[in-house]
Amino acid sequence: MRVLVVEDEKKTASFIRKALQGEGFAVDVCHRGDDVLAAVSATPFDGVVMDIMLPGRDGLSVLRQLRERNDHTPVLLLSARGEVNERVEGLNAGADDYLPKPFAIAELIARVRALGRRSAETKSPLLRVGDLTLDTIMHRAERGGKFFDLTAREFRLLEFLMRSAGRICGRMSIIEKVWDYDFDPGTNLVDVYVKRLREKIDDGFEPKLLHTVRGAGYVLRE
Amino acid sequence: MKIRTRLTLWYATILIVSLAIIGVGTYNEIAEQMEHRHLRHPIWEEAFDETSEMIFPIGLPAIVLGLLGGWWITRRALAPVTALTDAVEKIHDGNLREQLPRTGNGDELDRLTEVFNAMTARLDGSFQRIREFSLHASHELKTPLTVIRGELETVLREESIAPAQKEWVLSQLDEIERLTKIVDGLTLLTKADAGQVNLKFEPVRLDDLVRENVADAKILAQPQNIRVSLDACDELTISGDRHRLRQLLLNLADNAIKYNCPNGSVAISLKRNNGFAELKIENTGAGLPPQLQTRVFDRFFRGDSSHSNAVDGCGLGLSIAQWIARAHHGNIEFASEPDRRTVVTVRLPNS
Repeated sequence: MRVLVVEDEKKTASFIRKALQGEGFAVDVCHRGDDVLAAVSATPFDGVVMDIMLPGRDGLSVLRQLRERNDHTPVLLLSARGEVNERVEGLNAGADDYLPKPFAIAELIARVRALGRRSAETKSPLLRVGDLTLDTIMHRAERGGKFFDLTAREFRLLEFLMRSAGRICGRMSIIEKVWDYDFDPGTNLVDVYVKRLREKIDDGFEPKLLHTVRGAGYVLRE
Repeated sequence: MKIRTRLTLWYATILIVSLAIIGVGTYNEIAEQMEHRHLRHPIWEEAFDETSEMIFPIGLPAIVLGLLGGWWITRRALAPVTALTDAVEKIHDGNLREQLPRTGNGDELDRLTEVFNAMTARLDGSFQRIREFSLHASHELKTPLTVIRGELETVLREESIAPAQKEWVLSQLDEIERLTKIVDGLTLLTKADAGQVNLKFEPVRLDDLVRENVADAKILAQPQNIRVSLDACDELTISGDRHRLRQLLLNLADNAIKYNCPNGSVAISLKRNNGFAELKIENTGAGLPPQLQTRVFDRFFRGDSSHSNAVDGCGLGLSIAQWIARAHHGNIEFASEPDRRTVVTVRLPNS
């Protein structure tokens, strides 16, 4: 998988490149907004990781022009956290995903990987990880013949984790997707909910499915 | 005493003294004439009566008229000062750019207004520079944070890393996470100061948000065995920004839980009160002594420094809550009876 990283901050660009290369991606880097269109037309990329604030031309306008040209290369936007409007604007401009800075590298890698299979992803009503199943139509979660009594929030949390099974989900993305908060609540809300969910779906079962990735977030995997 | 009253009193004294001088002069003159006419010792009583007859019918009305006139003139003369005082009273850090209205007649008071306007303009400039500085500072901090975080994580991904080293890196990452929260909060507040945060106003069912918030608060409170109750929840629709209102509610609930005692309680209520939506969040925490209560909304204020380290937080929660309440044309109050109960009250205009 070939990825273009557009980031003007050299050090940031460098550790993103190293981390992605470490995961087996082919990585090209460019530092200016006005170089992106040329780079994308010269080489077909499987994904673009682009900062919004760029010298030359800002990420949003580059993205808009890319989409106007009917280029549907998946784009993940990076932006300083808390820039609410940028996030909404970015998704409206045709971004496939959005990650606020500072981000955990593990999460970036997970999201870049997800960019590649985004198109193949279907919204299946029945989700399965190991022996845990979640029926989004019947609103039922079951493991080893036992049905769990989940609150609406716990259900949404489990659904989100199961849909991203195997990928690390950062606290901020959980907050955004499950709570629909566009701000960092500065509380341990996510941790408390995950702990409760874990008590329900993992206590008394082997193997454990819900894991903590310290410094990055949580992941649901076998 | 008001200048106007003081001037009128002075004026009255001067008038009375002048009347007395005139009286004494008239009396002397009359007594002398009597002496000439009757060629005998003057009859003092007669002279006195005659003087009174001459002085009082004219003198007293003159004094009264003089006093009224004086009072009126001082009032007129001081009116621009009163207007200036009222205008200056309305100045605060948010409206320094507004200029006081000038009369334009070039007198002393007009000149005072001019000097005053120049002063507020200079202050506005300084405030502006401080705001810009904070805004840029909080923004600039994000890039190095991203770099440090990324590089630490890169170290973490190396397979050769020793367990002790790994623990050290993870602990650094925890601190980076904390710093990130502080920078995020600061960025939001400095942007709000600079008027760069746009709220999206729409009709919001506040009672729904409160119920949702109570559900989250109950979960957050479980580890310390704190009981969260919703005592009243009137159906209320206000015009507001849904995200910011949820942030306000979560910040307040989180504070009520963090600064509570184990096995304590948090009582939340939402009521309609005189055209306002009144939200009360009451907890059984240690609270704050009166001299510190006014400072709870200050940025980075953490109460008693000996306790603050035990509680995880960035010290900006209440400042953010205050900004959100004010941005909705409402207010927020903090009242505490130390070691008994603390109540935070938010009033938002009901649409």
